[in-house]
Amino acid sequence: MIVQGVHLFPGPREAVWTLLLDPDVLAKTMPGTAKITRTGPDRYEGTMAMGIGPISAATFDVAIVITDQLEPERYTMQIDGRGGFGFTRGIAAVSLATEDGATRMHYQADLQVGGKIAAVGQRLLDSVSKLLLRQGLEAMTRELERRLAGGAA
Amino acid sequence: MKPPEFGYHRPASLPDALALLGANAGAKPLAGGQSLIPAMNFRLAAPAALVDLNQLTELSGITESADGGLAIGAMTRHSAVERSPLVRARAPLLSLAMPFIAHSQIRSRGTLGGSLAHADPAAELPAVMVALDARLTVESTRGTRVIPAGEFFTGLFATVLEPGELITRIEIPPAPPGSGAAFLELARRHGDYALVGVAVVVTLDAGRVGGARIVLFSVGEGPVRAGAAERALAGSAGDQAAIRAAAAAVQRDIDPPADIHASAAYRRQLASVLTGRALTSAFERAGSSGP
Repeated sequence: MIVQGVHLFPGPREAVWTLLLDPDVLAKTMPGTAKITRTGPDRYEGTMAMGIGPISAATFDVAIVITDQLEPERYTMQIDGRGGFGFTRGIAAVSLATEDGATRMHYQADLQVGGKIAAVGQRLLDSVSKLLLRQGLEAMTRELERRLAGGAA
Repeated sequence: MKPPEFGYHRPASLPDALALLGANAGAKPLAGGQSLIPAMNFRLAAPAALVDLNQLTELSGITESADGGLAIGAMTRHSAVERSPLVRARAPLLSLAMPFIAHSQIRSRGTLGGSLAHADPAAELPAVMVALDARLTVESTRGTRVIPAGEFFTGLFATVLEPGELITRIEIPPAPPGSGAAFLELARRHGDYALVGVAVVVTLDAGRVGGARIVLFSVGEGPVRAGAAERALAGSAGDQAAIRAAAAAVQRDIDPPADIHASAAYRRQLASVLTGRALTSAFERAGSSGP
């Protein structure tokens, strides 16, 4: 499954870069993320619990490794998620470009989803990933605005 | 496949059912069980308890309202709606849509209220109710509220229903004179989830389009009202040129998902084709003031 798109953050690229790689921000903004910690210089581990419609609470252990970093321009994430309902793994490329004082993020992910969740929910994967991504990016944008307005660092 | 352990309540009256739902935060109402029970058997859903609504005969039945519209109990089975001459006469769109809902075995068990509360993005009834401008009566121990179908669905399997609330009745306003309806969907096999579907109701007033409601499903997170397509029809004669314009405009109204059955581009194109065909039928029926 390919997930790609563009999102405009209302702030400078350096601030967006810091935001995107801050585990506390990720835990706060990614839908269903219970906790996420940095377990190495470029490695994050955490758990996510998501409930959509009839699915009560699918819990996943997620590991993310960041590669090909070129601050503050681009990085690649290797994503590996496993849970009782199935797995997801793949690669996501993120790039940031300055645009009139704002930051344009381009993302492209190639994800494989397997196990029970894919067998039962195949027709919904695209809609669900769009929904989660939108919720995550909206929450990150609010967090960025809060920081730029002089909230806690 | 067996579900995980769950509690089971079978109330004999609506107040008892509402009290049970209000007192058990982890309880889910069981209507026809055609989506909930498979999800439990797959162990995707694990409600602490079920409140079985199947004894509540007061929630079943189709009656004519004082204004000439319909009032349908939330526990009315799809098959009863499908066979009802009253529904065929008063809400032809609903009759036209019923045969597309899954298979006859499922329709003999599934209920109107259950389908609406479940809010599957590929379900026919949410789109039909938005197109018909239906009103849903929702009750809980805290009281009763009436919600227009257009405000009821909020996203993927999401509605404005709050914990402890139950849909008890669906009211459909009378069809204005000179109105015509049509319903179309395409699925790979009959009974499969639709790749794209569309429900339309149009009204002709002295040869001009007096109103049009076009609602698509299986193209997003829930039923999608096609505002651009409706505006393309406004004030026209409902002729082929206006229908072509509306069918083209519908592509601006949707952002369809892709899956193994169809790409987003294919769904977009299909939405145009089905909207054009549905509008053609609906205007024919409006002109002859038939169903």
